[in-house]
Amino acid sequence: MKVLIIEDNQELARNIHDFLGREGYICETSETLEGAKEKLGFFQYDCILLDIGLPDGNGISLLNLIRAEHKESNVLIISAKNALDDKIIGLEKGADDYITKPFHLAELHARIRAVYRRKNLGGASIVEFNEISLNTDTFEARINDTLLDTTPKEFDLLLYFLVNKNRVLSRQAIAAHLWGDYTDNLANFDFVYQHVKNLRRKISGAGGMDYISTVYGLGYKFNSHKQE
Amino acid sequence: MRLTTKFTLWYFGIMLVVLLIGGAIVYYEIQWKISRVEVVRHQRLNDIIALQIREGGDYTAHPTRKRAAITLISQDSFPAGAASFYTRGTGWNPEFQSNEYKLVVTSFYTINGSHYRIMTYSFIPSFYQLLPGVVDSFKWILLLLLVLVVISGGLISKYILAPFKRTMRMIQSFDLKQKGSIHLPRTRTSEFRELNEFLTKMTDKAREDYQSLKEFTENASHELQTPTAIIRGKLDLLMESDIRDEQAILIAEMQNALERLSRIHSSLTLLTKLENQEYEAKEPVCISRLMREALNAFGELMEMKSLTVQTEIEDQVYVPLHASLADLLLSNLVSNAIRHNAPNMVAAAGIEPTAGQGMIFVSLNHEGLVIANTGREPQIPTAELFERFKKGNPGSDSIGIGLAIVRQICDLSHFDIIYEFSSGLHIVAISFQPRLSASKLLQNLSLPLQSTLQP
Repeated sequence: MKVLIIEDNQELARNIHDFLGREGYICETSETLEGAKEKLGFFQYDCILLDIGLPDGNGISLLNLIRAEHKESNVLIISAKNALDDKIIGLEKGADDYITKPFHLAELHARIRAVYRRKNLGGASIVEFNEISLNTDTFEARINDTLLDTTPKEFDLLLYFLVNKNRVLSRQAIAAHLWGDYTDNLANFDFVYQHVKNLRRKISGAGGMDYISTVYGLGYKFNSHKQE
Repeated sequence: MRLTTKFTLWYFGIMLVVLLIGGAIVYYEIQWKISRVEVVRHQRLNDIIALQIREGGDYTAHPTRKRAAITLISQDSFPAGAASFYTRGTGWNPEFQSNEYKLVVTSFYTINGSHYRIMTYSFIPSFYQLLPGVVDSFKWILLLLLVLVVISGGLISKYILAPFKRTMRMIQSFDLKQKGSIHLPRTRTSEFRELNEFLTKMTDKAREDYQSLKEFTENASHELQTPTAIIRGKLDLLMESDIRDEQAILIAEMQNALERLSRIHSSLTLLTKLENQEYEAKEPVCISRLMREALNAFGELMEMKSLTVQTEIEDQVYVPLHASLADLLLSNLVSNAIRHNAPNMVAAAGIEPTAGQGMIFVSLNHEGLVIANTGREPQIPTAELFERFKKGNPGSDSIGIGLAIVRQICDLSHFDIIYEFSSGLHIVAISFQPRLSASKLLQNLSLPLQSTLQP
């Protein structure tokens, strides 16, 4: 997947670049609106990460251009301003999703995948890994052919793990993903622990391999190389 | 009271005083004038009689003598000064057979060496007979004036106060968030012109202040969130590198602190935005639906904590609130009720505890919302829990800002809110009706609430 990162903060851009690079994505960065326009003139991208506050203008203004000439690209707005106006205008102007700083990189990745699934894979929204398959339309999780009895949150969690395979997911990142803004009052990571525990139990119960392991002190990891 | 009414009343009061004084003046003036005219007439008559005496001849049957008394007086009783005086008083009028007001004019003459006193009299209308006439006419004048003042007051004030009313309308529709400055109508009245100038200046200043505050908030948010995002990203990347266990702990602690930092920051930014009234309720939101959604969203958490939920949610309750705020309000309240839930405390109220289970009660109707949960007794007075960074349990890892946000939202929407702890229950009550206090709501509701506790 080719990704264009339009972000004026070099460090942040590098974070994203590094993280997505490890997924095998080809990332290019642009720090300015002008630079982004230039790049967009030459290349096609699967996904465009667009920061709103750029030194030479508002990122929203770029949306028109993107929508006119890059219909296939997914656009994800990155904003530090959790301003409702930006969100609404951005989505109205054709952005596909909106993420507010500070975000977890795993969360950004999950959003990119979700948008990509929605747009590029048409109706076939199945996420598969070995014996696990998730249908993101019907929210059905299957191990081989056994239907898993997962709650919506557990499904969400499993999907998050599958998208971010072999990555350490901190409890904070998981909590932020599952409960979003609500985590304000739910810093209690026991809930994360409970969800992960239940999920592992259910997968094992259906005959699946226990890919999820605890990373000491930090959180959890979906280990794709795990062998019996 | 309206300005016009006030003016009219004042004018009417002044008119009343003026008319009363005027009435008295008119009354005494007429009284004096009548006497004066009569006195002059009689003096002339007396002069004529004196002339007749001087000329000699018999005038006894002459009409001049009809009401005249001529007396020859001695030198001693002849007054030195005035040649004439008059007296007034009631006297018997034989022609009309009644006591009437009588005017007697006495004049003194010296004719051919003899001294004469000539008295003539007549009956004039009594002043008491005049009074009703005076009062009557003034009554009519007063009535006429009143009608005129009311009508003209209405019309004139409408005309004169028109610019003022236009200004008022403009000010009422003034919105801090509007782009341009307000355009007040031009007027020739200097006071209104001054007022308009002042208002324009003031609203411009307010708009500018609001704008710069808003910009500051957004800039602060932007400038702080970006470095936080960088640190978070770096930690995410660091986590995946080859690290030792003790390093992992360090990273986890940094993650925690960072999480708190970003949460405090975004909450404070939100509070500032609320204070700036950036969230305007455009249309009423169905809070019943949102309440059910919030309960659904937290359903799994409640299950994990084995909480029993009892709800009495009325359908189609609409409240004037921005949808995001309503969402925030409810999720803050529900998550609080889950977080600070501790089972078994209901036993303190002398009611059978449901074996080791925490409970949450939600009651929602068009009057208001009551959320109660079982929990430990708070360490500080419940009212203080609404303050920022105040926590009922100092050891908890929450940042203590959720209720401050809840109260801010309620204040903005003019909802009354109270927090009470009684019988092992934490109760938050919010009244949606402006005139209904939240404690009243609680009184109405506490009974069914208590009964639900009964097994």
